[in-house]
Amino acid sequence: MLIADSICKNFASFQALDHVSFEIMKGDIVGFLGKNGAGKTTLMRILTSFLSASSGRVLIDGDDINKDSLAIRKKIGYLPETPPLYANMTVKHYLKFSAQIKDVAINRQRYQLDKVLEECQLQTVQQKIIGTLSKGYKQRVGIAQAIIHEPKLLILDEPSSGLDPIQIRHVLTLIKNQGEQRTVLLSTHTLSEIEQIAQRVLMIKSGRIVVDDSLHGLLTNTNTQPHQPRTLEQIFLSHHQEPGQQPHANKPATVEPLLAHE
Amino acid sequence: MNKIIALTKKELHGYFSSAIAYIILISMLSVFNIFFYMIISQNGEASLRDVFQAMEFMLVFFIPLLTMKVFSEEKSNGTMEFLLTAPLSYSMIVIGKYLSLLTFYSILIGMTTSYYLIIAYFGNPDPLSTFSGYLGIWLEGAFFIAIGLLVSSWTGNQIVAAMVSYIVLFFLYFANSFNQTVSGASEEFLLQLSTRTHLENFAVGIITPQDIVYYVMGTILCLILTRFSIDNRLWQ
Repeated sequence: MLIADSICKNFASFQALDHVSFEIMKGDIVGFLGKNGAGKTTLMRILTSFLSASSGRVLIDGDDINKDSLAIRKKIGYLPETPPLYANMTVKHYLKFSAQIKDVAINRQRYQLDKVLEECQLQTVQQKIIGTLSKGYKQRVGIAQAIIHEPKLLILDEPSSGLDPIQIRHVLTLIKNQGEQRTVLLSTHTLSEIEQIAQRVLMIKSGRIVVDDSLHGLLTNTNTQPHQPRTLEQIFLSHHQEPGQQPHANKPATVEPLLAHE
Repeated sequence: MNKIIALTKKELHGYFSSAIAYIILISMLSVFNIFFYMIISQNGEASLRDVFQAMEFMLVFFIPLLTMKVFSEEKSNGTMEFLLTAPLSYSMIVIGKYLSLLTFYSILIGMTTSYYLIIAYFGNPDPLSTFSGYLGIWLEGAFFIAIGLLVSSWTGNQIVAAMVSYIVLFFLYFANSFNQTVSGASEEFLLQLSTRTHLENFAVGIITPQDIVYYVMGTILCLILTRFSIDNRLWQ
């Protein structure tokens, strides 16, 4: 579904991405981890063609992003870190506008609009001005615009950032449901979210991919700690320890699964 | 085409859902009305020639207020990322935004056509020279809007966009005043660069291909440069 081949991105003398390569299969939900400034957002912006790579190649569903960016953008739904909303529009008007510019056929726009309003539980606020909505609702409107054109690949940049636990639960359930229909690449700082919904994990550090494995494979890998199941938090910390810092391999995970009862 | 219309409608909705559009419309119409009254009562002629020239000067102040937020606001709100990752070509984005501004401006200019009815009631104005004057002022506004759009594509700051637009428009407006300091080809160049030189012809009822080419080519050039600016993310 998505092939990233040796992507580099330089901003003046700073190298944000250093030969990043990975592949995502159709139907995967992939968790994308990394510290602030590691290169997550830059990579996502390249995958969505908002930024161009300094070198390297991106293929999405067989199409080269450098050759046919417009065709690729039809296949991608993207939620940036800050939901891209027009505060003076109503939810319905904004989603209708999204459908229009994302090539949803005129005779399907109404159907798609009703569908995403229902999927994202936005029916009760569809006539409200976006600027007056809570952060949780704004995030859901952001996800609704990303899926209104039925993209094959959904790219979400920290979709649960700044939400309260109830709102996070709603958003994660929504993403999990989306994973049944399309490929999802999701970045977050909350490791428990990845543990609950992702099948694969990509970890980036200083612009390089340092982990690319299935979640199951990562958590059951006993090479380093025999007979000791690991958590994603321990794996993340082991890759981000400063020299001289004590390892946290046995530290238990502290984040409660939010979807445990679902 | 549907996507351009959707974008144009979205932009127009944005103007009219805030007080800014109404404030600009009312204040500009008020200023135009004052100039109209002063000029007509002073000249005592059934002609809008001097009114068009006063309107031209006011456009230098008014257009940057209209265009300063077109792209800068999208960038500061993060919605530029939404537009640029949607299946919209950069040309569609530029044209959609440009058409919305041109529509707004046309509404404003359309409201001043009552001036012709007023002077026609009291006198016998020449309809052709009035039409030519309106064509000139509309073309000039279209050119100024394209300049404002281009400048707005360079920055994420509305104030910077407005200030740079003012500098460019003032230079274009006053370019023929600088021609006394130079001579030869430079003098002719500055004369032809100035918008006043070209509007003067329209205002007195003369429509020349050179004047139309000046405005149309200037507008197209700015729109092409705006597309280039968006494509290359020059504000970054």
